[in-house]
Amino acid sequence: MLQRLLAIVRKELITMLRDPRARWALIIPPIIQLFIFSSAATMEVKNIALAVVDLDRGPYAADVQQRLRGSRSFTSLPRYANVAAARSALEREQVIGILVLPSGFSPDLAAGRPASVQLLLDGRRSNAAQITAQYVSTIVAAEGTALSGAPPDANAAAAAAVTAGFAPTPNAALVIDNWFNPNLDYQWFMLPNLVGTLSLGVALMITALSVARERELGTFDQTLVSPATPVEIALGKLLPPLLVAIVQATLYLLIVTLLYEVPFRGNLLVFYAAVLTFAEACAGVGLFISSLVHTQQQAFLGAFAVLLPFALLSGFATPVENMPWWLQFVTTINPLAHMLHLMQGLFLKGASVVSLAQDLVKLLEIALCTTVAAVLLFRRKAA
Amino acid sequence: MSDTLTRVRSWWQQLAAVMIKEAKQVTRDPSSWIIAVVLPLTFLFLFGYGISLDTTVVKIAVVREDGSRDARAFAAALTSSKWFLVVPATDRGSGERLLQDQNVKAVLVIPAEFGTRLNAQNTSAQVQLLVDGAEPNTANFVHGYVNAVWNGFLAARGLERGTAVALPVSVEARYWYNANAVSRWFLIPGSMTVIMTLLGTLLTSLVIAREYERGTLEALYATPVTRGQILIGKTLPYFLLAMISMAVCVLTALLLFQLPLRGSFLALGLVSGVFLVPALGQGLLISVTMRTQMAAAQLGLMTGYLPAMMLSGFLFDIHSMPPWLRAITLVIPARYMNVSLQTVFLAGDLWSVLIPNMLFMLAVGGLFFGLTWRRLHKRLD
Repeated sequence: MLQRLLAIVRKELITMLRDPRARWALIIPPIIQLFIFSSAATMEVKNIALAVVDLDRGPYAADVQQRLRGSRSFTSLPRYANVAAARSALEREQVIGILVLPSGFSPDLAAGRPASVQLLLDGRRSNAAQITAQYVSTIVAAEGTALSGAPPDANAAAAAAVTAGFAPTPNAALVIDNWFNPNLDYQWFMLPNLVGTLSLGVALMITALSVARERELGTFDQTLVSPATPVEIALGKLLPPLLVAIVQATLYLLIVTLLYEVPFRGNLLVFYAAVLTFAEACAGVGLFISSLVHTQQQAFLGAFAVLLPFALLSGFATPVENMPWWLQFVTTINPLAHMLHLMQGLFLKGASVVSLAQDLVKLLEIALCTTVAAVLLFRRKAA
Repeated sequence: MSDTLTRVRSWWQQLAAVMIKEAKQVTRDPSSWIIAVVLPLTFLFLFGYGISLDTTVVKIAVVREDGSRDARAFAAALTSSKWFLVVPATDRGSGERLLQDQNVKAVLVIPAEFGTRLNAQNTSAQVQLLVDGAEPNTANFVHGYVNAVWNGFLAARGLERGTAVALPVSVEARYWYNANAVSRWFLIPGSMTVIMTLLGTLLTSLVIAREYERGTLEALYATPVTRGQILIGKTLPYFLLAMISMAVCVLTALLLFQLPLRGSFLALGLVSGVFLVPALGQGLLISVTMRTQMAAAQLGLMTGYLPAMMLSGFLFDIHSMPPWLRAITLVIPARYMNVSLQTVFLAGDLWSVLIPNMLFMLAVGGLFFGLTWRRLHKRLD
C-alpha cells in the first residue's frame, strides 16, 4: 500500500512541478505579495496632513504649531484663514483634520486659565482620525505641562510621549511598557500573519484544482483504473501540498527574520508542526471542494468562496475580539484563526509550548475532520 | 437618408444579438448567479459583521500589590469601566504569564506602597501598564482607554480633596460625518467597492477567455458583428448585473447595517456606473490577453481583487503607505470609488470631491478599453 501511495505522490509532484512556469508560479507570487502587503497593510498613521486655523495668532498658538512640526508623524500643516476654507481641503481628503486654535487661547494660558483647542476630524477615515487625535492630544498636553511649571518627571515625559494623556497630579505617573513589539511596529504584526495567510491560499488552491483539472482533462478515470484504491489516491493528493507548504514556510521564515528583522522567539519544531497541520487542514478543504465540482472554474470559485471568510474571520485584518460573539464562535473552527494565534505566539511572544499546544491541538482536530471528510467524499465520488 | 437609417438599425440589431447571446450565457450558468447574488450578499454580511476596528472590551489583568484606599479605588475604576474585563492576578509573575500566553491584552501593576507614595509630599507614585504590543492598533486603543481611566481617577481624587487640578489645555475632538467614529461606517462602503470589483473584473475576465477556450470565438468572428459591437455587447449585460448587485448591497447597508445615506441615490448610481467602466474594462483586457479561463481568473484576482482589498484605502489608509506604493494606488480604480462612496454615504453629494474622482475612474477605464480595443483583432492566430 505504501508503495502505491508513494507512486501517486510522485505522480502528483511531477504534474505540479514539471512545468517551470508552474514551478515559479508556486513561489514567486506569494513572495511578491509578502513584500507588497507588508508595506501596504499598516494601521500606523504616518505622513499626516493637518490643517491649522490660527485665530489666536499669539505666542502659545505658535508654540503648539512648532511642536506639531517637530513631531515626525506630521508632514504638512497647511494654514487656513477660517474653518470654511479648511473644510474644503478636508472634503477632498487633502487633510485628515482641522486644528482650530481659538482667539483668546494665548491670553487665557498667560493668565493661568484653562484653555481648549478644537480638533475637527474626517470621520470617513475614523480609525486614522482617532489615532491622529491621540497624537494631537499628546502634543497639546505637553504644551500644558510645560506651562504649568511641573517638574518634568522623566517617567511622566516618557509616558506622555507614547500616550494621549498626561498626569494632572505632578507626582503620579502611568508608565507604559509595550511587550513583544516595543515600538508598536505594524509590520511586526503583519508579517507573521502573512506567513499563515499566504500558505493558506497556496495549499487550498493546489488541492482544489487538482481533481477538477483531471476531470477536465479526462485523466481522472485513468487514475481510478490503476491498482491504487480511492483512499490512496486521495491521500496521494493531500501530501504534495504539505511539501510545498514546508518549502514556502522556510522561505517566509528566512525573509521575515533576516530581511525584516522580526524576532522569532518560539520553538522551531512547533513552527513546523503548526505549518504541517495547518497545510493538511487546508488541503483537506481543498480536496473536499475539488471532489464536489466539475470544472476548474467552479473549483476556483469554490476555493475563493472559502478563502475569503477564512481570511476575514481570523484576526488577519481586524481583531477577533471586535466581532460579535456568534462570529467569535465561528472563528474557533477556522484553521487560520488558530494558525495566526500560533504565529503571533511563535514570532513575537515566545509563548510557552503549553499555551501553544492548545491551538495546535485545535488545528490537529480540524485537520483530522477535513481530511476524513475529504477522503470519504472522494471515495464516494470516485466509486 | 433611409440608407443611413437601415444601417443604424442593422447595427443595433447586431448589437442586440450579441447582448442577448451574452445575457443568455450569463443567466443560464448557475455559477454566474452565485457570483452575482449569493457572493455579494455573503461578503457584505461577513464584512459588515466580521470587520471592525472598534476595540470593544479589552481583557486586562490587574495586579494589586498595595491594599491602600487609593489602590483599591483605581482598581475599582478599571473594573467598572465599560472598556475592560478585569482578570484578577495574584502577583506580577502570574500577570506576566497571562500576557505571555495571550490570555490578556494588558497587565496593570499597582505596586506596593502606591497609596503611601501618592499621599506623601516628596515621593512619586507610579502604576505600570504592560501592553501586548503584537497588535499595534489594539495596543494604541488600550493606551488611550487606560489613560482615560487613570486621568479620571486622579481627577476624582483631586476633587474629593479639594485640590482639583484642571487640565490646562484640553483638546475637543469632533468627528465630522461620523460623530461616534464607528469604523463600520467607512468599512461598509469600502466593502461595496471590493464586491463591485469582484463582479466587474473577475466575472468579465472570463468572458472572452471562455470563448477562446471553447473555440466559439471563431464562430463569433465569422459573424458580421464588429469589434465595437463585441465590446459593448459583452459589457452591457455584466454592467446591468453589477448594478443590480449594487442595489442589493445598498439596500442591505441601509436597512441591516443602518448606514446613513447623506447624499442622493442619483449620485450613488452615477458613481457606481462610472466605476464599472474601469472595472469592466480591466476584466475585458485580462480576458483578451489571457487565453485560458484559469489564467484569466488568477490574473483578475491578483490585479483586481487583491489591490481593491489592500491598496484602495478600504482597510489601510493610503496616506500612511510608502511613496512607491502610493504611486501604484493611483492607477487602481477602487481607490477613487472608495473615496466617492464614503463621501456619498457619510458626507453627502460633494460634487467638488465626486467629479474629480469620477474623471480619474473614466480615465483609467478609457485606458483599459483602449488597450482591449487594440488587442481584440478580428482574427485568430
